[in-house]
Amino acid sequence: MFRLIAADLVRYRWGALAVALLIALATALGVVVTLEERALRLGSARAAAAFDLVVGAPGSETQLVLSTVFLQPAPLTLLPGRVLAELSADPRVAYAAPVGFGDFSDGRPVVGTTQQLLDGLGGVSEGHRFTRLGEAVIGAAVPRALGDTFHPMHGPAEAHGGVHTAITYRIVGRLAPTGTVWDRAILVPIEAVWRIHALDDHADEHSGPDQVTRADSAGEPGSGAAGAPTGAQPRTIADAYRLSQEREATGFDAPIRPEAVADPAAPGVPAIVVKPRTIADAYKLRQAYRTDHTLAVFPGEVLTRLYGTLGDARQILAFVALNAQALVAAAVLLVVLIHVMARRRQIGALRAFGAPRAVVFATVWLEAVLVVGVGLVAGFGLGYGVARVLARLISVQTGVVLPVGFSAEDGSAFLVLFAASGLAALLPAALAYRQSPAAALRA
Amino acid sequence: MPGLDIRDLVVGFPGLERPALDIPELVIPSGAHVALTGPSGSGKTTFINIVTGLERAPTGRVAWGGTDIAGLGEGARDRWRAADVGLVMQEFHLFPGLSALENVLLPQRLATFRLPPSLRAEANRLLARVGIGRPGQKVETLSRGQMQRVAVARALVARPGIIVADEPTASLDADAGAAVAELLAALAREVGATLLVATHDDRLIAGMERLLRLESGRLMPVASAAPSMPVPAAADPAA
Repeated sequence: MFRLIAADLVRYRWGALAVALLIALATALGVVVTLEERALRLGSARAAAAFDLVVGAPGSETQLVLSTVFLQPAPLTLLPGRVLAELSADPRVAYAAPVGFGDFSDGRPVVGTTQQLLDGLGGVSEGHRFTRLGEAVIGAAVPRALGDTFHPMHGPAEAHGGVHTAITYRIVGRLAPTGTVWDRAILVPIEAVWRIHALDDHADEHSGPDQVTRADSAGEPGSGAAGAPTGAQPRTIADAYRLSQEREATGFDAPIRPEAVADPAAPGVPAIVVKPRTIADAYKLRQAYRTDHTLAVFPGEVLTRLYGTLGDARQILAFVALNAQALVAAAVLLVVLIHVMARRRQIGALRAFGAPRAVVFATVWLEAVLVVGVGLVAGFGLGYGVARVLARLISVQTGVVLPVGFSAEDGSAFLVLFAASGLAALLPAALAYRQSPAAALRA
Repeated sequence: MPGLDIRDLVVGFPGLERPALDIPELVIPSGAHVALTGPSGSGKTTFINIVTGLERAPTGRVAWGGTDIAGLGEGARDRWRAADVGLVMQEFHLFPGLSALENVLLPQRLATFRLPPSLRAEANRLLARVGIGRPGQKVETLSRGQMQRVAVARALVARPGIIVADEPTASLDADAGAAVAELLAALAREVGATLLVATHDDRLIAGMERLLRLESGRLMPVASAAPSMPVPAAADPAA
């Protein structure tokens, strides 16, 4: 029987291959939609895990979450420094960490924050946390070694922002992997960010591009550092440059001062990550910071709402995929039926020569299930591969890490599909079963 | 080797006024070689289908050596046919992709759980006997005459008591047809099987001991095909 099936499959290899390929493509379509949607959900849930409550200036909640959780560059209005001070002093707050973005190094976001967020993200797995202004901690996926140094760029490379030449960060630690965008980020003390931007504002006010943090912090009433000691006015650009070099060169070796963030006169920050002590505190804090001047959001909640919208799109996609699969299934069934009909004399001959009907039935069924099964397995493989490639593309473009993976429900989906094709294959098998052996004789 | 004993066989098709087959009595002795002729539409195919159990006789008795196949169910007829009937058809119904040897063994392989080892040797012997030099050769590469000889070997491999051939030479040229006709008669004699051949081929008819002629579903009296044999009073005139 197996020899017969093998010979038959070899004889009709192109047809069998085409059928298997059709099934594989239809299956892959559904698999990609399912995997990608789940990856998006898991990936962003994972990304938001460390961010219980995010406080920012009034504006788009979604943008605040995307910028904080996914480090998506966007010009956010700054919060005055006193908000951070208030939150730091609040008894309901376990910690409140600023997130100051806007600088980059080799396309990687350089984020100013505090040691508390380093711990909140999972802690340092190698080296140690930053303790001085000129020290940096890299995310797990940053391809640099401890001890390396770099100058931050203002704005992403393609925006051609200036290079903060004066400051040189030295990498002293590496974060444990988080599976989020933060793995690609470089974390530096927020105080250092404040200081560079204050100096830069002063040194090259002629510079054109309206950069996020700098432009906003300059206009911020609380940005005390901007109005720091200026000394004599430089007369030429060269003088100004030299002056700024001197100024910047000093001070970055100083230890960080954790109390700096508690200073109400501290410069502004675009967002604050708040770790409430209890769930009840979280809700109270959100209530308290939903004001005319501040916006407090649960990233999880914002993302859920976002998925609500995405979910509709997913349902449409899933519906399209399902219909495509149904059409392919119907077409394949028809092809198999026509194939069996076209060979009814040959099947009749098998019976005429004495093959039991059960064997004829089993042969046709097994052959159909074999082709469909190969298609299904290939489809799951193909779908997985495509989902991986898509996830990588999305990850490269947006930085959102999408964990593509099968789960138990995919296993049962596979089994259901397999069982369904097994059932569908009963139809051609039954057709062959009912085939009269007399048909083998002269028509 | 079973002989055939038919009583009161009437096969009708819906929509047809006259029965396709109406045979009150027919006895073929065990080991006889019988040719069946008749114009197309005379009921030859129906007759072959009934006596090989491919179709079930609706009335009467169709007994081979005491087994009334008219009383057997479909599965039982399949089993009986696998064990007792060797079939050779106009279309060879060899399965492409399989070798000559595999084709000879295929029906037995499908019908039995485990192939008896002696069968393989028998298949090789038969293939040599019918003149197929390379049993491993794929059947689609054989000539038509060779294909029909493989089909003859397939019909004989299980040593059936009955060999039924339906126009075995009709799709072959004269030489190949003659070779197949000779082989059929010779091999049937070797194993002592009862041979029933539906054919228009005069050369094939000439080699048979007895001739049955069907017209409009009824057996007509004919002279013996082989002059040396006495004329048997086998065919009943139409009622």
